[in-house]
Amino acid sequence: MSTPALELSGLKKSFGKAEIIRGINLSIGKSERHAIIGPNGAGKSTLFNLITARFMPTAGSVKLHGEDLRGLQPYQINRKGLSRSFQITNIFPAMTVFENVRCALLWSQGYKYSFWNLVNRSRQLTEGADAILDQINLLGRRDLPAGTLSYAEQRALEIGITIAGGADVIMLDEPTAGMSHSETDYITDLIMKVTEGKTLIMVEHDMGVVFGLADRISVLVYGEIIATGKPEDVRGDPRVQEAYLGAALEAEH
Amino acid sequence: MSDQLTTDPSKPAQRMRAGSMTLTLMPWIIAAIALILMPFIFTSNSALTIMNQMWITVIFALAYNMLLGQGGMLSFGHAVYAGVGGFACMHIMNMSDLFASFPLPVLPIFGGLFGMGLAMIVGAFSTRNAGTVFAMISLGVGELIAACSVIIVAFFGGEEGISGDRTYAMPFFSNEFLQQIDVYYLTSFWVILAAALMYLWSRTPVGRMANAVRDNPERAEFLGYSARWVRFYSFVASGFFAGIAGGLFAINYEILTEENLNTASSGVILLVTFLGGVGFFFGPIIGAIVFTLVQTVLSLQTELWAFYAGSLFVATVMFFPGGLAGLLMMHVPVFKLGNAKQLIQPYIKTLLPAAIGILGVCALVEMTFHFRHASIGDDEMTLFWTTFDIHTLLPWLIAGAVALIGIGIAKRNAPELKEAWDAANTAGDAS
Amino acid sequence: MELILVNIIDGLVTGLLLFMLSAGLTLIFSMMGVLNFAHASFYMLGAYFAYQISIALGFWMGLLIAPLIVGVLGAGVERYGLRRVHQYGHVPELIFTFGLALLIEELVQFIWGKNQMPYSIPEVLNFTAFSIAGNSIPAYKIFMIFISVAIFIGLLYILTRTRVGMIIQAALSYPRTVEALGHNVPLIFMGVFGVGTALAGVAGVIAGPVLGTFPGMAFVLGSIVFVTIVIGGLGSLWGALVASLLIGWITTFAKSYNLAMSDVFNAVGIATPENLSDHWLRDLWTVTSPQIADILPYILMVLILIFRPAGLFGKRHS
Repeated sequence: MSTPALELSGLKKSFGKAEIIRGINLSIGKSERHAIIGPNGAGKSTLFNLITARFMPTAGSVKLHGEDLRGLQPYQINRKGLSRSFQITNIFPAMTVFENVRCALLWSQGYKYSFWNLVNRSRQLTEGADAILDQINLLGRRDLPAGTLSYAEQRALEIGITIAGGADVIMLDEPTAGMSHSETDYITDLIMKVTEGKTLIMVEHDMGVVFGLADRISVLVYGEIIATGKPEDVRGDPRVQEAYLGAALEAEH
Repeated sequence: MSDQLTTDPSKPAQRMRAGSMTLTLMPWIIAAIALILMPFIFTSNSALTIMNQMWITVIFALAYNMLLGQGGMLSFGHAVYAGVGGFACMHIMNMSDLFASFPLPVLPIFGGLFGMGLAMIVGAFSTRNAGTVFAMISLGVGELIAACSVIIVAFFGGEEGISGDRTYAMPFFSNEFLQQIDVYYLTSFWVILAAALMYLWSRTPVGRMANAVRDNPERAEFLGYSARWVRFYSFVASGFFAGIAGGLFAINYEILTEENLNTASSGVILLVTFLGGVGFFFGPIIGAIVFTLVQTVLSLQTELWAFYAGSLFVATVMFFPGGLAGLLMMHVPVFKLGNAKQLIQPYIKTLLPAAIGILGVCALVEMTFHFRHASIGDDEMTLFWTTFDIHTLLPWLIAGAVALIGIGIAKRNAPELKEAWDAANTAGDAS
Repeated sequence: MELILVNIIDGLVTGLLLFMLSAGLTLIFSMMGVLNFAHASFYMLGAYFAYQISIALGFWMGLLIAPLIVGVLGAGVERYGLRRVHQYGHVPELIFTFGLALLIEELVQFIWGKNQMPYSIPEVLNFTAFSIAGNSIPAYKIFMIFISVAIFIGLLYILTRTRVGMIIQAALSYPRTVEALGHNVPLIFMGVFGVGTALAGVAGVIAGPVLGTFPGMAFVLGSIVFVTIVIGGLGSLWGALVASLLIGWITTFAKSYNLAMSDVFNAVGIATPENLSDHWLRDLWTVTSPQIADILPYILMVLILIFRPAGLFGKRHS
């Protein structure tokens, strides 16, 4: 049995008295595409933040390729091969699109904190960044300040920065949030392309994206996972239907 | 419109523009030539002293901007790194055996090393934070060291400071740096070298990540970089170059005192850097030059120059936080679009009356000050090359009128300027 | 024994004065995230305005009117200056308040000149309240304590018992929510800034006669105030109180007992080196407690920042 790419055991998180994440056990295999869905307020973003060390768990553990991530800083986790995108676009707006991607490459190409190399001189950096830009179809916007891009383009750039470092576990937080239908299709194709062969964990609301992309999905409700499995199986699960329908019924009243 | 500004992937020349070095070498060459030629234009010793002061301030301001502009870190006690570097150099000057073993141009390096050493100690705990907390720590540490400087007489020389003689170093190609002009070329050499090194720093991985951490520390962490360590390295590098500025100060003035370390000096460098513009590399250079000129020239004209400096500073923060460099660079799109000529007339029509109006206000301010604080019987004052009696009504009326009319005309023409600006910034005629 | 009592009273006076300044500053920071560098400048303005008013109308009118003027000015600075700069971010805000401090100092020099103003204790308070072991305690100091404590109690009452206070406390942490509830948050900000600066003004009014009314007075006290709120914890009112009193007492005691470092070293068994005047650590040996009294707060602050960066009562930074 191979080590799962990401394993959550008994993960809990409380803010004061409010227990947001109430014990999560989840195992995601290598190269699996896993989507986490659930109603608003279920704790999806909190879960993401727990995995990526933005928050400290109150109990339980997160293991990346079998290694416990407890006590590690976000940058250390990133160096171990886990990369994430953010729900609110989180790029470097003052830098050009090219520079955004280039920064994402620096550590993985071994530059560390060097002050004796000039980034402009490195063919590897320039070509590497251009290759990524090509993958996300932003070569035409290469020298524009990233802040001037359209929303969908910025999201694409965000994905580009996330994968640029060569991480093999990619976490995307609502990548298609706020997008039109055609933009959503575009981004979904992009995600398919760039996460080829990598482990992908995604939080998503758009069911179309989820069913098109995911190998397995987990349903998070009130801080607990009530179902995990193949998309079709989960869709038919009565508890899931109740969680979603129940929410819909409540909304109607 | 965007076609003009995007890169055509099929044109490799355009793409490599991002990496080419030859284009950007020109300003440096021009600057070097200008530095070499300046003493032939401004020959007096006092001019040389002013220029030396400028270059030292340039290095210090550039070092400061490594933190403020590039790193987004506001440091309130930065003068201590320059000061400690300077004091270390003074002590070396006084160690005759050591000092005689190397030529003078090498001395600033020691200043840099000491400045760097102090920055490493302080940075060890101060760079854990950014933003306001970092500013507080820097203020506290700065005050602490400045206060200690009066107590630790051994290193800081107490009230008289430490003085020395620069001429006892090993002669540099038989030059003992007895003359001001020798010192000028030494300082000029260092300013070009230091500025070039700092510029190159900003193009290194750690320099680029400093920008990234400034804009979005969280994102930078998920690129594998510890925001804390990036800040630390920026801080240490900044301390190094500040120390070099301190060393050059030691060479130039041959005395360092507590004044070089205190909060006032730290405040000045903040003012200088911000005035010049923190968003561009050359911003602090402009700020340093302009401020030194204002300080030396204006202080001869009026007692109130500090008041004007303070007002200018506050106005900069409120109305053009991009500083002078920001103001200049705002015009780049206009030039690119070829519309610069459209702006000449509106600028003259608005800025000239505004300038005259401001001079009128300054006249009123000067007169009020003189009126209030002059000793009894001292009724006359000289302003703008005219001497007049302050107690008569006429000068006040004239000054008031000039102020009102100047500002009035400027205000009337301002909308026209705005229109012209908008027009000049709109890309070409409909094609 | 009696000397200790005297020092306690003196330290209390200094501490409470410091508290009046740091309370306003920490409140402003807590609500708006702005560290007001010009805070001590308003303290200075309080003293100068009170002096000017006292010439015409007497000390008590000065005490009443000057803080009001300072508060109005403070509110104006917030409304027309700070609010405008706020959009550029925290760093420009800090730089703005710093520039403002500079400008106010120059302005004061412009109007009143560089010399110390003869702003003195009102006659009615100019007597000795009582003496302890030969040291006379001026009635004015008792008055200062009185006023400071009264203000503190008033502040506490308003913040914790009144409706306005509750709204302010809420706006301290969740301005957007409070705004969504229909309260005029910008007005609250302006009000808090005004009250905070008015407090600083009061401190100036009563400290002016004792500490001296001169253009450098803002600078002298300014950095200590920052040190105080960092030690106490940014945003914590109780922290400001504790830290102010702590600093007040530490500096007073250090100044009055002439403790030499060499005595301390000798006491732990380290002998004084011969030829002390040439020894490279001679300053450390010869330093006396009055000399370092003024830098003790800074040392304390650096220690706190290393070991407990949030301050004594501060909330953890995210």
